Amino acid sequence: MSDINPLVIVGAGPSALAAAVYTCREDIDTTLYEKGVIGGLAAITDQVDNYPGFAEGIEGLKLAEQLQAQAERFGAKIEFGDVQSITDAGDHKILKIDGNDVLAKVVLIATGSDYKKIGVPGEAEYFGRGVHYCATCDGPFYRDKKLVVVGGGNSAIQEALYLTRFTSHIDLLVRSTIKASEVLQHDLDKAVSDGKITVHLNTTTDEIVATDNVVNKVLATKDGEKTEIETDGVFVFVGLLPNTQFLADSKIELDEQGFIKTDGKLQTTMPGVFASGDVRSGATMQIASAVGEGATAALNIREYLEK
Amino acid sequence: MSKNITVYTTNACAYCMMVKKYLDSKGQSYNVINLDEQPDQREKVEAISGVKSVPVTVIETENAEPSVTVGWNPNKLSAALAA
Repeated sequence: MSDINPLVIVGAGPSALAAAVYTCREDIDTTLYEKGVIGGLAAITDQVDNYPGFAEGIEGLKLAEQLQAQAERFGAKIEFGDVQSITDAGDHKILKIDGNDVLAKVVLIATGSDYKKIGVPGEAEYFGRGVHYCATCDGPFYRDKKLVVVGGGNSAIQEALYLTRFTSHIDLLVRSTIKASEVLQHDLDKAVSDGKITVHLNTTTDEIVATDNVVNKVLATKDGEKTEIETDGVFVFVGLLPNTQFLADSKIELDEQGFIKTDGKLQTTMPGVFASGDVRSGATMQIASAVGEGATAALNIREYLEK
Repeated sequence: MSKNITVYTTNACAYCMMVKKYLDSKGQSYNVINLDEQPDQREKVEAISGVKSVPVTVIETENAEPSVTVGWNPNKLSAALAA
């Protein structure tokens, strides 16, 4: 039988890395498994301006690298791996990771969330070829081009503002109204007055259309009227979907949206399995909160292991 | 068998960083083409990959078709390195 790890953390975003800093400093051997990007959504965010301690803000990727370096400084081990399931074996848990069993006394799930799809015709078909979810990765392909950005929350506004450094113009399609921070709304107002962005409120995105396999327009409905917007590409930021698909058949209870339910100790309905950050039901979807929850989970895990 | 590896990136691309970390962890050397610094390479990588997206990793092996991996896909990279 394989050795039982004291602690396995699923994910390596800010919450996971913050937890690892604390657990490693408590001499709890800690291994993190990440299938996506170390740093999570924070790492693909252009600029983080609301994380305390950085007066001028910090690039998301740099923040992620700092979090990783800090966790590794205290001995955290970060492995590439796709966790497919977690089962309760009494005094330990069994994680299926890339087909192999990994045992752990305690598990922290900090898998975060990913951007939702809008689910309209053309979205899946032209993914990567005109439809995108990562501005920092794919924005440079749209130098001096027209873009549509879909969404009206913090992420959509922030990424639209980032994309203005490349594009000739952006049409921002917002299903209802803008729901972003005052600071971002102020920056958006400036981009609008500079002619860089046009905001379309009460506008649903209906279809992404291409001619000869090249995306060239979006069909939308604005105030009940059908409309067409010419574009060279579409970037989508319409909310977050928790990364909990791997828990579908587990005994870990999820809420109606698929986020993990926890108690006051951040423990899930499977004893010995904790959750923190964006993946947790009730999370505020802020990096600062995720980091705080990671620290809280770590202290509760220490207490659990001492029992 | 020796491989010639090229990773197409941009400055702030976290997925690109993951590809580079992965190749580093496997002891592989590689060339980096940063599209922010070499925008004239955009059309080339688009022609190679069929997408307007990075990272794109091209692994060339003697006497074989090059392997093209779009995005951060460790399983595909692993298979391409083993081929």
